[in-house]
Formats: sequence, structure tokens, C-alpha cells
Amino acid sequence: MTVLARNSIRELRYRPLRTLLTVAGVAVATAMLADMLMLGGGIQRSFGDLLESRGYELRLSPKGTLPFDTEATIPGFAGLWDSVAGVPGVERVAPVLALSVGAEVEERGPAASRDAVRTLSLGLDPDNRGLYDLVEGDVPGAGELLMDSRLAEALAVGPGDRLRLAVAGGLGAWGRTASVRVSGTGDFVFATVRDKPLAMPLEDLQALSGLGDQVSFVMIRVRDGHDPESVRAGIAAVADRVEVVTLAGISDRLDERLSYFRQVAVILGTVSLFVAALLIGTITAVSVSERLGIIAALRAIGVSRRRIVGDLAAESIVLGAVGGGIGIGLAVVVAGHLESILAGLPGLPAAVRFFVLEPESLAAAYGLVVASGAVAGLIPALGATRREVTTLLHREEP
Amino acid sequence: MRGAGGDTVVAAREVTRDYRRGRTRVRALRGATVTVRRRDFLAVTGPSGSGKSTLLHLLGGVDLPTTGRVVFLGRDLATLSVEARASLRLHEVGLVFQRFHLLPMLTAIENVELPLAAARVPRRERRERAAAMLERVGLEDRLRHRPGELSGGECQRVAIARSLANDPAVVLADEPTGELDRATSRRVLALFQELNAAGTTLVVATHDLELADGARRRIEVVDGRTRP
Repeated sequence: MTVLARNSIRELRYRPLRTLLTVAGVAVATAMLADMLMLGGGIQRSFGDLLESRGYELRLSPKGTLPFDTEATIPGFAGLWDSVAGVPGVERVAPVLALSVGAEVEERGPAASRDAVRTLSLGLDPDNRGLYDLVEGDVPGAGELLMDSRLAEALAVGPGDRLRLAVAGGLGAWGRTASVRVSGTGDFVFATVRDKPLAMPLEDLQALSGLGDQVSFVMIRVRDGHDPESVRAGIAAVADRVEVVTLAGISDRLDERLSYFRQVAVILGTVSLFVAALLIGTITAVSVSERLGIIAALRAIGVSRRRIVGDLAAESIVLGAVGGGIGIGLAVVVAGHLESILAGLPGLPAAVRFFVLEPESLAAAYGLVVASGAVAGLIPALGATRREVTTLLHREEP
Repeated sequence: MRGAGGDTVVAAREVTRDYRRGRTRVRALRGATVTVRRRDFLAVTGPSGSGKSTLLHLLGGVDLPTTGRVVFLGRDLATLSVEARASLRLHEVGLVFQRFHLLPMLTAIENVELPLAAARVPRRERRERAAAMLERVGLEDRLRHRPGELSGGECQRVAIARSLANDPAVVLADEPTGELDRATSRRVLALFQELNAAGTTLVVATHDLELADGARRRIEVVDGRTRP
């Protein structure tokens, strides 16, 4: 460290209150910036990771919708199945029917009663693990269902117990009912905080609902070595009455829907960065103006302008580095609290994270604050060293 | 004597210096001439606003004349770039200010090290030289004290040690006793005389008649002009 930089840093220690307040301000601004950077891209990355982790690269859904978007269905899917399965690159076709049902433990009364739990039921191929992970028991066979583990806990039931299910009828009334055995419990990866789904064989749910061979969406697994986009185009060519999307396409749609979030994050993040830079710039400007006499004397002695500016900037860099470091820690704590608040947002899988703690985001926030603080500190330092030495000396010396 | 120019360290010939104050042009010097030779101890006296400080700044290359020439060790200062003048000041000119202008957060020895560090003297050597300079001005027991812990006279002696750090061709002191009491001023004069006797060339701008009388030679600046 140079002698001048040592002086600058000791100046910070000499004025502890001013330094503490500035560091606190920079820390809060850095925390805000880091959280906004995490929020800006976090949800999309988290959702993308969740989609990719399940091993199905394509989705078919009714025109203009995405899976779990609406209650619209694809009618007559049995007729499409062979065409879709025959597209080169398609390894597996897994249709899913999603319906709202009422469920109640059988011995506690009829499912059609007002005490029935309203939940989402998924009719699927039980071997399709793209939507759930088995926690306890077995996958459901005919006449059986797999319960969300949270719902099983809430209803105090487990494998072997029986539930009565009812599908919604007209005018809010319950329609058909069926008695089913609980084969096991599981975690449903795309379930929202409010959803506590059930899963049962597709044919059983189709029969219960009377919807015939209708399905809500279809998951398609692409063979290794095949480009999902090419397979998507192949399916779209044979199934023009459905929407065919890749995981990237789903991510893009989500990105469009979350663009407000991102815009807000960008604006708040930018404001935070400006606040940090202004704080550091202001303190450096005050500090420089207090030392104009010394700056003039140093220049008169022959210390180069570049050296003086660099050493004055050391003060700004220290403020940015210390405030930024504390701010990153604060950002992690605040992100945890905000995550718990936003986790209840309807319509998004509970497994999706709004704030993804990525070293890149934290490093970017830290780097931006330190760099902008250094630049903000350079401006008054440069301004002071550009002033006429003799004018400053005349002013400082009586 | 270092460099070209024989026995002359610095010479100003018929220099003028104009300043702008708002829309007004102020002529601080109106044709000053002075020659400083090796081992000189020159006192520049004159009333406030007569142009003493301006003349000192021109002699040290801190400023350039509006007209006239200043030749320092054989080099016309007007022909040097800003960086070259800064380098010349760093290596060949020692400056002492009325208000000392010591860095308050640095110790006495660190303040004296400053011009040595700027001249890229290695750390160990600059520490040794700074300690030797402080010993020379009688502050060997104040090396680790900060300016706030020193008296005005001690601060000025630190500033004098700083001005001597790079072994300059000339030390220019602008009202070095202006902030000091009579007794301390006398000690500063004694130090200057001791340094001059040891070979240091000194130019001192002062109101202090006792300090001026203690110099070997004296010129007066009146209304921007020098008088022997």
C-alpha cells in the first residue's frame, strides 16, 4: 500500500460515524442490487432446472395453452397417439389428465359432502415419474391412487386406506364418485403450495370423469441423440391441432409472463447501484474538499496527479469493498425472507425458487458496487487535481 | 552543483504573472528579476499581496510566468511539460508552506517518506533517509507522532525534513514562521542557518524581519517588482 493510500484509509478510521453510515448505506444498496439480480433471472433458471430434471423434453397441450394452464383438454388423443409415437426421435408418450376432484376418507362420510377436500387429480401412466417422486408405498395400479404426502399427512391416511373421490358436476355440485385405495404417497414436483395432488391411472380418471379419451397435456421423451427442436417440428407436422413446445419454449413463455418481475428488478437494481455510487461519490467529494490544501501541496511538491487520484480512489474502493461485502451477506438473509413470502404465490410450482443464490449474481453485484464506487470516487478526485495548484495554495495559505 | 547553469540554481528574468479573478485581470508580478546561487540563503520580503508567494511559485516551477523566463539548473521551465516540471519539483525543489500541509493521518516519518515514495525510492532506503532527515531537524524522538500530536514548531520542522528528503537543489519556504510564535520562529531560523551552513540553498518569503535579517541576502518585492 502506498503512503498516500494509507493516509486515505486512516482517514476512514478517523471518522468512524461517517464511515459507518456510508458503509451501511452501501451495504443496503448492495443487498438490494444482489437480490434484484437474483430475482431477475432466478425464477426462470430455477423453473428451467426443474423442467429439465424430469427427463421429458417436449409437451403437447391444447392450442394456445401450457400444461396446468387451463382446464382445456385435447379431445380424442387416442387417435393422435400413434401419429405422435411414430415421429422419429420420440421415445415415450405420456399423456396426463388433470382434473379438480373432491376427496374424503371413506369411513368419515361421503365424498360429496361439504367437508370433502378439493384437490387436483392427475390421471397418468403410473410409471411416468416426470411428475412425482414416490415417498412411501407403491405406484398406483387400477383402482388405486397415490397421494401427495402433505395431503396424506393432513388427512392422516397412508397406504392401504380408502378414499372416496368425486369429480365436479354442474353448478358447483359433485358428480360421479368412486372408491379408491391409497397405494402410496409421493411428492409432486410441479405442485403449487396450495395444490396437494393425487395421481391415479389415466384410464381410471377418464372413466370417473366421463371424459373418454381426453387428456390435458402429453409429456414426450426424446431419444438420446435427437434434437428436441427437430422432434417438436416433426410432431407439429402430424398434430396441428395441439401446441407442441420444447422445455426452452416453456421457459421462454414463462419469461414473457415474468417480464414485469424482471423489469422491476432491473429498475430497482439500477437505482440501488446509483444510490451506492452516489453515497461513495458524495463522501469522497466531501473528503476531497476537506483536503484541497493538502492535495495542492502534494502537487506542488511534485507528486504526480495520477498518483494522488489513485490514492484518493483507494478510499472509495475500501468503502465499496467493505460495504459491498456486508451487503452480500445481507442480500442472502433478505433473499431467504423474501423467498418465504413469495413461495405462497399461486400458479407456480412450490419447488421453483424466486431467489437463486448463484455466485455469479453475488459476484456481479459486488463487482458493480465496487467498480461504480471507484468511478464515483474518481470524479471528485480528478476534479480536485485538475484545479490550479497556485490558486488552491493562495486560497489555503493566508 | 547539479546540472548545467554553473553556480546558478535558478534565475528569474523580468517575469510577470497575471491572474484572472472573475472578469478582472490581476498582475501579481510586474517584472521581477532574481538569481539564486548555490548555498544562497535569500530572504524575499515585502508587504502582503506584493507578489512574494507568486515569485516563489515561479522559481520552483509550481507556476509559469506570463512573460519573462525562469531558468532552473539551466532549463527554461516554460519548455518543460507539466509532468517534467512535476518531476523537477519532486527531485530538485523542496517546498515549505506556512500551514505545513502535513498529512494528518500519517506519522512524522511517513510524511517525510512521501516525496521519497513518489520518487520511487525503495521502502527500506526511504525509511532510513526519512529517519535521518527527522534526526537532522531534531525530531528523532517524534518519528511515530502524528501532526496532531506535535507542536506548530515541530510540524514545521517535519515539513522542512520533508522538503529536504529528496536532497533538492533549493528549498523554497513560503512564510515558514507565519503560524509560529517568536521563540519557535527563532528555532526555525536557527535550523535554516544550520542547513544553509551545511550546503542547503534556501529562498524564504517572509514578513518576519528577524528571519529576513538572519538570511545571507535579502531582496524586497514591492508592487510586483523586485528591489535589491
